Amino acid sequence: MNEPAIETIDLVKRYGTLTALDHVNLQAPAGRIYALLGPNGAGKTTLLSILTTLLPPTAGSARILGFDVSRDAAEVRRRIGVTFQEMVLDPLLTGRETLDFHGRLYRLPAAMRRQRIAELVELAQLTDAIDRPVKSYSGGMKRRLELARGLMTDPQVLVLDEPTQGLDPQNRVNIWNYVRDLNRQRGMTILLTTHAMDEAEALADLVGIIDHGRLIVSGQPSELIAAMGSDVIRVRGQGNFDHVAAIAATLEGVSRVETDPADGLALIYADNGSRRLPAILNTISNNGFTIEDVTLARPSLGDVFLHYTGTALRD
Amino acid sequence: MYATYVIWTRHMRKFVHQTEELVGLALQSVLWVLLFGVGMRGMISDVGGSDYMSFILPGIIALSALGGAVGGGMVLLDERLRGIVKEYLAAPIPRLSILLGSAASTATKALFQAALMLLVGLLMGARLAFQPSGWIGALILLAIFAIGFSGLALGVAAISRSIAGYHGMIFLFNLPLLFASNALYPLEVLPAWMKVIVLINPATYLIDAVRALAFGVEATLPLWLSALVLSGFAVASMAFALKLFQRSLRA
Repeated sequence: MNEPAIETIDLVKRYGTLTALDHVNLQAPAGRIYALLGPNGAGKTTLLSILTTLLPPTAGSARILGFDVSRDAAEVRRRIGVTFQEMVLDPLLTGRETLDFHGRLYRLPAAMRRQRIAELVELAQLTDAIDRPVKSYSGGMKRRLELARGLMTDPQVLVLDEPTQGLDPQNRVNIWNYVRDLNRQRGMTILLTTHAMDEAEALADLVGIIDHGRLIVSGQPSELIAAMGSDVIRVRGQGNFDHVAAIAATLEGVSRVETDPADGLALIYADNGSRRLPAILNTISNNGFTIEDVTLARPSLGDVFLHYTGTALRD
Repeated sequence: MYATYVIWTRHMRKFVHQTEELVGLALQSVLWVLLFGVGMRGMISDVGGSDYMSFILPGIIALSALGGAVGGGMVLLDERLRGIVKEYLAAPIPRLSILLGSAASTATKALFQAALMLLVGLLMGARLAFQPSGWIGALILLAIFAIGFSGLALGVAAISRSIAGYHGMIFLFNLPLLFASNALYPLEVLPAWMKVIVLINPATYLIDAVRALAFGVEATLPLWLSALVLSGFAVASMAFALKLFQRSLRA
């Protein structure tokens, strides 16, 4: 009944012998923010390139608003707005020219272009800069202009590839608010990629974790986190991780232990972290493990990521 | 196609914004005519009944159109390497219109240069035939020629991985086009084997036609043939560009 706004079925992309996407089945419901979370090189940009019709899939299919990205590419293009990972702006044009040109590519009439530009310039907080050449813009301004450009055509689906990459914390939060407002006020479906855990946590209604070209798990962040258990004790240190994991797992109240030796990290999931903490730490330090740092917390999306991919998410 | 027009206006807007390119192109044209034309004129007084300045101007104009085509390819390459081309690719427009927009802006710049060169040439003593319809015909053929070479340059730009690689490949066909043509010497003085090569070169047809149309020199090749060769060349080279462009997108 409720068709997903974005759907891929067994989507595969190979570059020669390299498999960039391996049977990806993604479903993003209409009106929600879906974040694809994964490290660089996981296949996020390849997936977005196929969804935005820039790349043909090797096998499988993808549909946006019911239109196949290969067969009905023009219909898809008409309905989506996109920002790319790199800044895709012509430094010689002014902000206004950039927006106006984009509207003309999509054959928007002049009056509508003027009206949209007036709205978007305000929304993107570029009022003072809009008639200056883009080369004079800061990184945050460029990103806001790109978002405004993606919105010129009032798309039903907005696709954002790493929307806050390279921005300072203040600008990141600005962009987050902007994206959230778009989703809430216009009911826009938004698909974004990120390799930043906090971004996915701040924005996403749904998260898909992608690694090595496979969509490993997807769901609401709160559900994914809840499935991890009640508390997690994160221990950083040095020693034999396999040994420590085996021993810690036998302790009372410990449900699961996951380790990422490359990062010097062990995650010990327990029913009641603060009560179990002393016994756990005591046991592992008595087994030749040097503890450097301990935190006790509710599980986070980062722990979900480690759980499903076996490694911590790095930049 | 509407998208072609939109992309053309965008390139023209950039061209006007970028004063260096504008002034550079203008100066280039003037210098070509001044230095080359004047230098050669000192050596040769007339060719086949026309003064050397009138003889050489069409050649110089054709060659600067070549330079313009190389520049047009650079614009596409730059937009490709920077990712700007993705904005076009994600828009509901035909791929061909992206290339045609580039070729059209190249042709426009070539016409702008040609007008300047003619002006300087006239000041330097070239004698233009007084037949405005001929001038217009010559400019139309020049535009078709510029589109043709834009196609080749765009095709190379579509598959080049770097700016240096692009220039390396472009250089391969740029120099022979100058010397293996009738730009500098009349067709009749060439040995038969070189005549064959020269007659493969589309520049030869443009130059011969422009001489006839704008300068009133008797054509050595039939005008209809020149128009046909140039049009066929433009269509073929745009097809070549589209093919390579589409191939580069499939990777």
